[in-house]
Formats: sequence, structure tokens, C-alpha cells
Amino acid sequence: MADDFRSKAVLWPKGHLYEDFSVGQVMNHHWGRTILESDTVLFTTLTLSFNPIYSNRAFAKAHGHPDIVVNPLFVFNTVLGLSVEDCSEIGGPFVGVGKLTYHEPVYPGDTITSRSTTVACRLSQSNPSSGIVTWHTEGLNQDGRRVIDFERSNLVRRRHPEGRSA
Amino acid sequence: MTTKLSALTGRNNYFEDFSVGLVIRHARGKTMEPLENVLITNLVMNTAQGHFNEDAMKASAFKQRISYGGVNFSLIMGLASQDTCENALAELGLDNIRLMQPVFHGDTLYAYSEVLEVKDADREDAGEVTFRHYGVNQRDEQIFQGDRRVLLKRRSHWGDR
Repeated sequence: MADDFRSKAVLWPKGHLYEDFSVGQVMNHHWGRTILESDTVLFTTLTLSFNPIYSNRAFAKAHGHPDIVVNPLFVFNTVLGLSVEDCSEIGGPFVGVGKLTYHEPVYPGDTITSRSTTVACRLSQSNPSSGIVTWHTEGLNQDGRRVIDFERSNLVRRRHPEGRSA
Repeated sequence: MTTKLSALTGRNNYFEDFSVGLVIRHARGKTMEPLENVLITNLVMNTAQGHFNEDAMKASAFKQRISYGGVNFSLIMGLASQDTCENALAELGLDNIRLMQPVFHGDTLYAYSEVLEVKDADREDAGEVTFRHYGVNQRDEQIFQGDRRVLLKRRSHWGDR
């Protein structure tokens, strides 16, 4: 009976809140992602990101690449996407990204993993129910080399807004 | 390739064509649909359901899904790409990314770019340009601002290849 499974069900929650973060903690994010040619070409065409190194293999090879180049904004979005459950899934809105460097090109078939280090946690003056957390996030390829890194800040909801302990 | 490389990209967007202070209004806009927001959010495994669960978002202050910020600014940077990055050898980095307003399905985005910095690179066939990209919606409200550093071909070396 439908009522039976609903009344017995226990929610397995996802995501983290402000109190779960501390400066210096390192999170190795889940899953990883092998980036396929179809991923990057679809992303490139949907966003009208017109540079032939992202869409023309012969052109990319003539520029010294072994294959088409994965659109760097697709690399960024994948590395951030893999970090969302740990960092920002339930906490609150995006504040900003900065200091982003692309360290080397990514090619179709490369596998990307993501990890973040918490670098700042501060309470919000204007919004006592939330704090602002900043992470340094890195994307690594299958050889462990860093392909991208950046800093990201989000508003993150507090579990105990009055500062009460649980 | 049998075709000249330079025949495949624009003639007016090499390193030499950009000087500090130039502001470009890009010709095309694009309407944000679930095609862009939901597909790309899911492709990059972003698990925040506010971008793909319409039922849950009906109970929120927004009353609907909000487009993922990474997709919003990827589309703005995409709309700016042909004019500013079509002759890029590489994109080097981003900075000062800010999202000012939420974007919803059905909103139309337009892009502008300003040249912030132009300088020599460590190779003679290219130079480095920093653009500040701006995004606005159909009501002309600014939704995004962010800086992109690119390595652009010099016409002197690449214009006839």
C-alpha cells in the first residue's frame, strides 16, 4: 500500500550547512567525469562559443593539439558541478568566482575529478541566518595534473542561526 | 588542412584590433530555455535541484526553477566569443565573476565586452587581452559581469596562414 511506504520512509538528506565547514578542511568530491567529444561540442554549440579549436578537429590539430580542445568553460562547469553536493547544494546562492586559471588543455577522453579546500568562513552582517563560505577548488585529470583552479564563495545557511549548540 | 586556417575565422578580431577602452555590443542574443539550463546543469552533474525540479521550486520565493549561474555566464561568454575569442590560441583564466540577478526560463540574454588590458605575451605570434564581459536580460537589467583573459593570435603572424 502506498501509505505503508510513505509512513515508513526515512529521508536521506543531501548537502551541507554553514556549521559543517571549517577553514583547512579538504573535500575530495564524488564521481569524477570522463569528458566526451559529444559533451564539449554540445556545450560549445549551445552557448555559441565560436572558436574552431572547440569544434573543428583538423583546425585544432593544425594548432598543435592532438584533438579538439574541450571548451574551458565546460571544464569549469564540470569541476564546479562535482563540488555542488559537498559545498553548495542546500546552503544558498552563489556569490562569486575569482582567481581562475586554466593550467593545461583538456581533450576528449580525459577524466576529471574535483576537490575543494575551505579557505574562509564568515558570518553575514546583513543576513544573520547565513554565512559566507569560500573554497579553493581544483580540477585534476587522470594523471593527477591540475587542469584548473579557482576560488568560489557562496551564501550558506546556518543550522543554528542564534548560535545555539545542537 | 587544405583550407587556409585564416579563412575559417574573422579578419577584424586579431590581437592588433583591440585597444583598452573599446566596448563591443555583440550582435546576437539567446533565450534561456530548459534546453540550455537543465541540459547543461545535468551534463556537468550539478546536483542542486533548484535548477531542475519545477515542483519543489513552486514552493520557493521564485515560484519556478532558476537557471544555473554557471550556464548563465557561459552563455554570456559564448555570445561574446566570436568577436573576442574566435582567434584565441587559448583561454587563460577568469576573475571577478559576479551574478547580479536570477535568470528564468524564457529570459533572453545579451552580451557586451570591454577591453580592460592589452599586453605582450611570452611568444611573439600572440598577445594577451583581458575582456570584461557584461550580460543583460530582455529588460536591460544587468545580470552578470566577469573578466576573461585570452591569448590572441597576432595578424602579423597568423593573418595569412
